[in-house]
Amino acid sequence: MTDTTTRTDTDDFDPHALAEQAFLDEVHSFQFWFDSIEGYLTDRPYGRRGTTDEDPIDDRRRERLITTLCNYAVGETAALEGAAGLVQLAPDRNSKIFMATQVADEARHLEVFLHRLRELGVADPESEIERRAQPALVDFKGALLDLVDGGDWQAAVFAQNVILETMEYTVFRLHAANADAVTRDVLAGVIADERRHAGFGENDLGRSLAVDPSGRARLREIRSQLDPMVLGVFEGALDDVGAPTDERHRLAGEYLDTVERLGLT
Amino acid sequence: MAEFLAQYSIQRWMEMCPQGYLEDTVHGHEPDATEPEALLADDDEREAAIRTTVSLVVGERCALAASSGLVNAAPDYPSKRFLATQTLDEARHVEIFTQRLFDLGVKKDDLESTIDRYANPNLVKFAEVLLEKVDAGDFVAGVVGQNIVLEGMAFTVFELLEAGNREFNPKFSQTLKGTIADERRHVGFGENRIGSLIAQHPEKKSEIEKMQQEMAYYMLATFSDSFSDPDRKPNPAASQGAEADFHGTNLATATPEEMEAVLANTVIGEFKTRLARVGLEYQTPTVPVPA
Repeated sequence: MTDTTTRTDTDDFDPHALAEQAFLDEVHSFQFWFDSIEGYLTDRPYGRRGTTDEDPIDDRRRERLITTLCNYAVGETAALEGAAGLVQLAPDRNSKIFMATQVADEARHLEVFLHRLRELGVADPESEIERRAQPALVDFKGALLDLVDGGDWQAAVFAQNVILETMEYTVFRLHAANADAVTRDVLAGVIADERRHAGFGENDLGRSLAVDPSGRARLREIRSQLDPMVLGVFEGALDDVGAPTDERHRLAGEYLDTVERLGLT
Repeated sequence: MAEFLAQYSIQRWMEMCPQGYLEDTVHGHEPDATEPEALLADDDEREAAIRTTVSLVVGERCALAASSGLVNAAPDYPSKRFLATQTLDEARHVEIFTQRLFDLGVKKDDLESTIDRYANPNLVKFAEVLLEKVDAGDFVAGVVGQNIVLEGMAFTVFELLEAGNREFNPKFSQTLKGTIADERRHVGFGENRIGSLIAQHPEKKSEIEKMQQEMAYYMLATFSDSFSDPDRKPNPAASQGAEADFHGTNLATATPEEMEAVLANTVIGEFKTRLARVGLEYQTPTVPVPA
């Protein structure tokens, strides 16, 4: 039996026992976000456990890591500005509040990557980011913010919470698997957030496309415009993190699976 | 600038809020706290509480739209990151005050119609003046309007309500204490960040002061509306006999005129002090006529 009420306490609370609207009220709330992040961010300044020591890192690897982190910062700036714009566009109270939690998440990601760059000896991360930014990622950022500025909620959620978040989720997980210990800590917290954001995007679009399937044709068109940039970003990011060829196919498959679940292939 | 902005980082926010004064709370208060029975049982008191809470929701919705809108207009990464925490704070305020409406008996399906019914038109105009600047991407005017004028007003109104509810309604009082702590941080950022930008753009002063004057007019008109109707009781201390001091005024015995005067004078005093700190001069608006 489903419960149509909202929570009254924090113990033994299972949102999946709620009816659909009550579930959405719950999982898009500040309170849900607040309880979620407590689990994996408490006592981790800048995403790093106090017990984690720096691994030795040679100059070549350090250079590559700096380039990678600079591009993560570009992606997170796009996500921050996109999410902030989406707060204004959100069609209902729950979506506005969820997007506000995402704004804070993206700002935190930007902050932890900038902090990591400083730990690696980058004195002026902002100019380093500008110097090392991948053109395809900068183009994608522009395209995303154009969709937000155009006031198109559905298209902007698709670009931000499906495409961008899936790309980041995929690349961060691959990177975390072979990163140095501190970067791995930082990425772990970011990955947990990205999963929540991508879940919102799929859920929101899935529901709106179920009501109005005609939106699929428009989103397919947007996808075809964004795909060359997405592929360019993937290529660059996977080069930076040193992904082997067979892994690249598998990772591209994860992105395509998400798009297919929404019927956009 | 960089050193002071480090005090407004996400990391600092995490340490102060989720791991600080919000720890172990649900919707800003202890999990088991409820609205007082005496309030829920009295239709007039309950309606007055709904009216007051609707004003808080309207103000916080404006603050959410403004702070998220200013993220993209911010000229540097640290300001973007601070405004991201403020966006989240404001969303939390929208959520907890909306939840209070539900706790007061408003049905979820009736939320928007209840807000439409009780929203003060002057408060709506106050919000529109600010959002016009935000929509235009005017960062300096937007931060003055949001973090000094709107937050300065909210801070003082919350303090008044907290003083009036401390004994009568500990649940609402605790909710307000958390928002006051947030607003203090927001006002601090506004003062610290905007002073240098005003110094760089002195040509913007007159336009910003005009916005402040307009916002102050609608704020005073809102106060005037709220205290001029004897059926509207924005503070429960008066009817419950609890002693509550607010800047030297006993809210339990004060007349509506006295309450309006102490609120308006306190907010205006705050405005003068804070605007002077960023190099602006408070502009007195015309005296609003009660609706």
